[in-house]
Amino acid sequence: MTTLTLPSRREEAWRWSKLDALRALADQPHGTALIADDHFIGLGGPRLVFVDGVLDADRSTPGRVRVEPLDLATDHPLGKQATGPGWRLTLDTDQATDPIEIVHIATGGANHLPARITLGEDAAATIVETYVGAGWSNRLTQITLARSARLMRSVRMLQSSGFISHRDEAQVGEGASLVSIFLGAGGMDCRVDGALHCTGAAAYAEMGGALLTQGEQNQEAAVSLRHDALDGQSHQTWRAVAKDRSTASLAARVEVARGAQKTDGEQSLRGLLLDRTSTINLKPELEIFADDVKCAHGATVGELDRTALFYLTSRGIAPARAKALLTRAFVADALSRIGTEAVRDAFTADADRWLERAL
Amino acid sequence: MLKIENLHAEIDGKPILKGLSLTVNAGEVHAIMGPNGAGKSTLGYVLGGRPGYEVTAGSVTFDGHDLLDMDTHDRAAAGLFLGFQYPVEIPGVSNVQFLREALNAQRKSRGEAPLSGAEFLKLARAQADLLGMNQEMLKRPVNVGFSGGEKKRNEMVQMGIIAPKFAILDETDSGLDIDALKAVGEGINRIMRAPDKAVLLITHYERLLEYVEPDHVHVLVDGRIVRSGGPELAKQLEAEGYAEVAA
Repeated sequence: MTTLTLPSRREEAWRWSKLDALRALADQPHGTALIADDHFIGLGGPRLVFVDGVLDADRSTPGRVRVEPLDLATDHPLGKQATGPGWRLTLDTDQATDPIEIVHIATGGANHLPARITLGEDAAATIVETYVGAGWSNRLTQITLARSARLMRSVRMLQSSGFISHRDEAQVGEGASLVSIFLGAGGMDCRVDGALHCTGAAAYAEMGGALLTQGEQNQEAAVSLRHDALDGQSHQTWRAVAKDRSTASLAARVEVARGAQKTDGEQSLRGLLLDRTSTINLKPELEIFADDVKCAHGATVGELDRTALFYLTSRGIAPARAKALLTRAFVADALSRIGTEAVRDAFTADADRWLERAL
Repeated sequence: MLKIENLHAEIDGKPILKGLSLTVNAGEVHAIMGPNGAGKSTLGYVLGGRPGYEVTAGSVTFDGHDLLDMDTHDRAAAGLFLGFQYPVEIPGVSNVQFLREALNAQRKSRGEAPLSGAEFLKLARAQADLLGMNQEMLKRPVNVGFSGGEKKRNEMVQMGIIAPKFAILDETDSGLDIDALKAVGEGINRIMRAPDKAVLLITHYERLLEYVEPDHVHVLVDGRIVRSGGPELAKQLEAEGYAEVAA
């Protein structure tokens, strides 16, 4: 038996987590890998396939990405278990790379993978990560963006079962921009965890996405975004859709430090219950120590608008399709933040497939 | 085309329609007029199949089929169109997407081939032009940010695209200025005045009937039709009021 120390639900930050299955998954053996090609969007850039956290070199063209031992320091209880070899992207000043696609295939059991992304001044990168398969995939990604660097990251979680724990820790420098959008549209449970620090003036950080749950699934996102410098901007747009007896939880926190005047933070957490038996938890938090800031925030949970459903069906659209259209519109806000059209279309198609299965 | 016999309906246990009978033949335009609370909108919703409106007695046949036995979307596919008094705003769904889905769902259930994106756009643009609706509004989310008049024009554009057999238009004239009223009236005549189509105009005032002349006018009071007549009845109602005419 593996001795695995997991956070307790008695801790506030983990109160909605359901981690019990991780112990059993940690002791299970790996299985057989899926075909990776089916899960690349086809952006023409480097491709990496990790099978149970190990690079499949035959199926990868890593470009500037290196796979090597990484020693990342963190006190995050799940993130710190992602040790050993990981992937690293380092771009120097003004460098850019074609969009990088990473497919994580889990075959059962547990797999852990650390990652380090370091972008120099004015460097730019786009990274798309896709999780498929079954088992526990545990990730820790540390990101440092130097002045005016730009990172656009899109992560879709499509595992058929198991658990994905995804911890991001980022430092966003002066005028730099970090956008990370997540989609949970598989059959697994997940915890998306973020600690983003806007350390430079006029830094921009965004973390958001859509979690879609059904059956007995439990998905959650817990993001803390801290502004330490002047003129920072941040966005957290999250949408949760829950069906059957599933639970989706969103906890988003904005901290504005004493000197971080003129911060403009926006937080929008919205939940849609497709059944009366499903649960959505929302926890918006603001902690502001500066006096000249703007922090808009909204948190709402509701059901599909019955009048809108009648309007659509009265024009000939079948009820299931009408529900799918309205639900799709509900999550569209979150996915519209993805900058690359092909990536946005692929994520929207994944959300549509989920809706077709669920409704 | 539509035959309503002794229709009783209630909402939350409260009776609204109390024995309404009406026959509308192909090629006819009927106007239902009546005071507030008479059950005019309820009649529209019951025929359209809105959940929560419970039919407790009576029957409705549409083209020989039991309308009350059909699901809401099947009624639309069978050729029934309900024009809403308050068209619904649907953020995140564009007019074009909504209408193409609606039209193709109806075509599919009738065994017809779906329209391609290009074919549909051509049809939608033509109808928008005829109703004087800015084509940009086709791309916008359904009714979001539209004025009252624009929403009603949008209802008519939808009716033009869907080309139903039978239209129930619930207070389509409310909230319209004179120009919009004229445009909507012309739209109704152009789309629905045909030997194989029929219209049930639900209205409070006579002014729309100046543009769409009805063949029959009915006065609905307290869930029943208390008087029927020709177009002159509408003018009499306007001059004398419901209380006088229905007495």
